[in-house]
Amino acid sequence: MENPLAVRIVDGLKAAGIDFMSYLPESRLSQILPLMRQDASFKLAPAASETDVVSIAVGATLGGKQAACYMESTGVYVSCYQLVMVALHLKVPVLLLVSHLGGFDDQRNSFLYSLAGRRLVPQLKALDIEHKVLDSGANLEADIKNAVRTMNSLREPVALIFSGEFTV
Amino acid sequence: MIRYECLQLLLPLMIDHLVVTSQSGQRIEWGHLSKRDGNLLLGEMGCALSVAAGIALALPHRKVVVLESDGSILLSLSTLATIANLDVHNLSVFVFDNQAYSGTRISEPSATGGKTDLEQVARGAGIEATATVRDLDHFKTQAIPALAGEALSFTVCKVQESLIHRDIPRPDIDLLENKYRFIRYLQETEGKPAPFVGRG
Repeated sequence: MENPLAVRIVDGLKAAGIDFMSYLPESRLSQILPLMRQDASFKLAPAASETDVVSIAVGATLGGKQAACYMESTGVYVSCYQLVMVALHLKVPVLLLVSHLGGFDDQRNSFLYSLAGRRLVPQLKALDIEHKVLDSGANLEADIKNAVRTMNSLREPVALIFSGEFTV
Repeated sequence: MIRYECLQLLLPLMIDHLVVTSQSGQRIEWGHLSKRDGNLLLGEMGCALSVAAGIALALPHRKVVVLESDGSILLSLSTLATIANLDVHNLSVFVFDNQAYSGTRISEPSATGGKTDLEQVARGAGIEATATVRDLDHFKTQAIPALAGEALSFTVCKVQESLIHRDIPRPDIDLLENKYRFIRYLQETEGKPAPFVGRG
């Protein structure tokens, strides 16, 4: 991802009220991490597994934060249990920022990732988690704001899936 | 030592603490003993510790207490490495380790009934303030300092398998009611609502 796009993601998250992010780093959107680390308005929680990423974000939301979870597509599979049994069961809004590793528009796709990428959207549909695939930054700030409004309205996780130019 | 006796000792120490439990026996017994709205009685294994860590990070000035089990911790060992590397100085973890999956009703042994030592796992993960207690006197001398301390603490409480929780009434509030009571309690004591509340 080009750095200006990373800056726009971080600014968009801030403008939408996100002030906490748990994460397991990955390769496509990783430029957002140093930017967020430099910004005191974000509290960051690195985790050893996407299972922790989701439930830590749920706890932070209950504690008054507006939380995001950053992971790659495989992380959605890893954290399914927490998404269902904690976030959906308790109806707690968290914003899933998922890089579409292995997706159709993943510019760095390979045989290593394509299976996981192909099943990401069906997986989110199976979980009945609202989601939107972004393949460009054309409406990035509005998409982030809309996702936060939607998750707060539903009291459920909502996913933004970053593909296309975000995966360069 | 049985878990219920330990929980009875913890009960008067919970003043403005936030208490998170995992499924199952500790959830039922704590829900029976304590009716505070500062309790979050989670209904699954493998999540209480990480949810509590998120609460502790969001509210660093509040003490968060987690009542866990061996089976639940074994299901989420990554959480030990995660919390060891986060600033959760305000988190006290009590693991009631009966070395069995009591909920199976045939008491299938857990890994701690075999070769696994959760205190050593926690230490290896990087948690410094750890202890294992095996009797009530030791529980008293470990539990109270752990609650008053200002560091992440992890206390493994070796307990006998007890079936008391099968005979006491189960919590009569569901997960959603519990969640709303919990966040209303936080709203009242912190002076601000959770960001997703309202907007009706």
